[in-house]
Amino acid sequence: MAHIVLDSCAGRDGGREALEAAAIASLQLDHQITVVGDEADITAALAKIAHDAERLRVAHARDRCEPDMDAAEVLRQSPRNSVVVGLELVARDPSAVFVSAGAPGLIVAGAQQILGRIPGVPNAALAAVYPTLRPHGPVSDLFALLLDVGATVECSGDDLVSFAAMGAAYASKISRIDRPRVALLCNGHGISNAPSRAREAHRRLLAAKPAFEYVGCIRADSVTSGDADVIVTDGFSGDVLLRTLEGVAATGESLLRRAAEKFQWRVGVQMLSDGISAIREFTDWENYGGAPLLGFDRAVMVTQADSGRRAFLNAIRLGAKIDRLQVIAGLAAGVAAFHGLSAPPASAPASEAT
Amino acid sequence: MSSDPADPSEPTSPEGQALQPRRFMHLRWDLDKTYLRTEFDSVKDLIRTFRQKAEDKIAVAGASALLRALLDPRERSHRRVTFISGSPRQMRKVLTAKLALDGVEPDMFILKPNLENLLRGRFRAIRGQVGYKLKALLLSHMAAEHVDEYLFGDDAEQDAFIYSVYADILAGRVDAVALAAILSTCKVYRGDIDEIMAYHRQLFGSGEVVRRIFIHLERRSPLDRFAAYGARIVAIYNYFQGAAVLFEAGALEPRGLLAVTAAMELEGYTPERLANSLQDLMRRGVLHFGTIERMSRELAAAESTMGRPVPRFLHAFEDAIGSLENLQRPGPAWEAEINYLGIYHEARFRRQQHRFLGIRLLD
Repeated sequence: MAHIVLDSCAGRDGGREALEAAAIASLQLDHQITVVGDEADITAALAKIAHDAERLRVAHARDRCEPDMDAAEVLRQSPRNSVVVGLELVARDPSAVFVSAGAPGLIVAGAQQILGRIPGVPNAALAAVYPTLRPHGPVSDLFALLLDVGATVECSGDDLVSFAAMGAAYASKISRIDRPRVALLCNGHGISNAPSRAREAHRRLLAAKPAFEYVGCIRADSVTSGDADVIVTDGFSGDVLLRTLEGVAATGESLLRRAAEKFQWRVGVQMLSDGISAIREFTDWENYGGAPLLGFDRAVMVTQADSGRRAFLNAIRLGAKIDRLQVIAGLAAGVAAFHGLSAPPASAPASEAT
Repeated sequence: MSSDPADPSEPTSPEGQALQPRRFMHLRWDLDKTYLRTEFDSVKDLIRTFRQKAEDKIAVAGASALLRALLDPRERSHRRVTFISGSPRQMRKVLTAKLALDGVEPDMFILKPNLENLLRGRFRAIRGQVGYKLKALLLSHMAAEHVDEYLFGDDAEQDAFIYSVYADILAGRVDAVALAAILSTCKVYRGDIDEIMAYHRQLFGSGEVVRRIFIHLERRSPLDRFAAYGARIVAIYNYFQGAAVLFEAGALEPRGLLAVTAAMELEGYTPERLANSLQDLMRRGVLHFGTIERMSRELAAAESTMGRPVPRFLHAFEDAIGSLENLQRPGPAWEAEINYLGIYHEARFRRQQHRFLGIRLLD
């Protein structure tokens, strides 16, 4: 049974949908759910929602954090905010998974202060999944992993190498791929024109004999082909790429809506409605849950700022899967194997792992 | 039909000072979904329930342990338990056998005359509960001077409504006019209304006899649904919560609390789930921090006698309650006047709202 610690101060409707997702999860899933936020507000809201109080607990966070504030400022001015309280709970419980739609910068800064780091990982990476044309692994997973998408904007070659090791370990656990294909995101002219960090990572990945298959560079226009199971890049480029993919999907939807202008087009769209719904399901980010923040000795899931009930529920399910499959221990083992280190114990508390 | 107390003489202390008279405790239990885990959402479920043997029937976790603890043999002469169930009278034998298997011996067991209702064409009475249960509650009222009643029902039917009306009749808050309006709104048959009104004349204003009404949230209904009834109704997710509230009220001894906890553990309840349940009561203002501290001590002492090196309950309670230590939440108010007709119409509207062409929609 996993322990999901859910931040109810962020997400759609001021976090109300996060709370509703927690209530649904308490009724449908056999996990311990801890909701973090203002206790009085949560208790009043829960009274109106069907939930199972046997599986749901509230942890009080005294301070509210304003969404527009800088992470360092939030940690200074609101030290007992829901992200900090939630991460502290997670640090105490090896089976706990933190889920939040809070600002990624604040979550990363809070995790750096409170959680332990996986040995051999200098900086954390936010890993997002995206749909591809070719399925991956024995379970025909249609999603590939892209990391980092915003946790570490300024990356070194070291960072990219550790992202590759973590991404491969994550894919082998979640998608059950024995030897994941890992690629580096590059620009159009091959590795020679790539930034120095990418060149260094490329050289080291080619020289190493890792447990994954390094397939070299991949251009942005090929990321959806499915040629790689894991694509590694720095936080800045990853975020730009992910937003572009989401933007293209949203534009496609808007174009379909414009089809209503002509009767014939409307009929055509209606005839294709099943297929369009399937594509919409496939590309809808709310179905993926959240993006795991990799590099810490505890599982942390970051969902989008405007996440609704469905996104939170899927994040909770993914969090529980991460706990069940012992993904964090797998990541530590994968990174240790790559660097030739000895893997830390599977459920070591934060202080021991660092 | 009322019963006389078993021992009305007042005990005295060794010094010869008059002590508070021993109070009688009358426990009223519903059966299906309150005491027994019963499924009757479909005809198939109904048939299966009807054909089940006593040994196949399963009690809700902690229910039989709580009832046995409340019916402590040392206090039995001052305790009474009445079961009032909507199950047909034809099931008396198997249900009595099930209770006997659980070590529970009811003083009164009232079952619904469904066959009679069917033969007399009283179809509304087969499904309706208000007329039948209210009549049964008034009929089995124990007219002792010092009596506390604790009622147990569930959220699958109208137990909260019926029990509350009953409590307010005794407390003198639902007069004849109001009761007649409630019964006719609930479409109770004329004959039943007459009988209930006759009981009302006898028992109206007997006193604040009903201490607590426990509603087992079998359907996990939102808590707000019971807010209109005030503090007398305590919605509970499990019988550990019921035991905790009774422990705080002084109606349950520590050993009873331990027995319920042990029974819940045997049913697979982890200390975390029990701690969550306590935190829920505390946040709702039903239980106080001091009570939880006392409970923790009792449970920790019991765990140490069981040879457990680490008091698991204590740790779980500390985790769940620790951060809320300074919480001073006022409990729900004891409603002076409850708008029963408003509650009835609201519930009816809600039931209709969630159905479309007879198909149940998502809640």
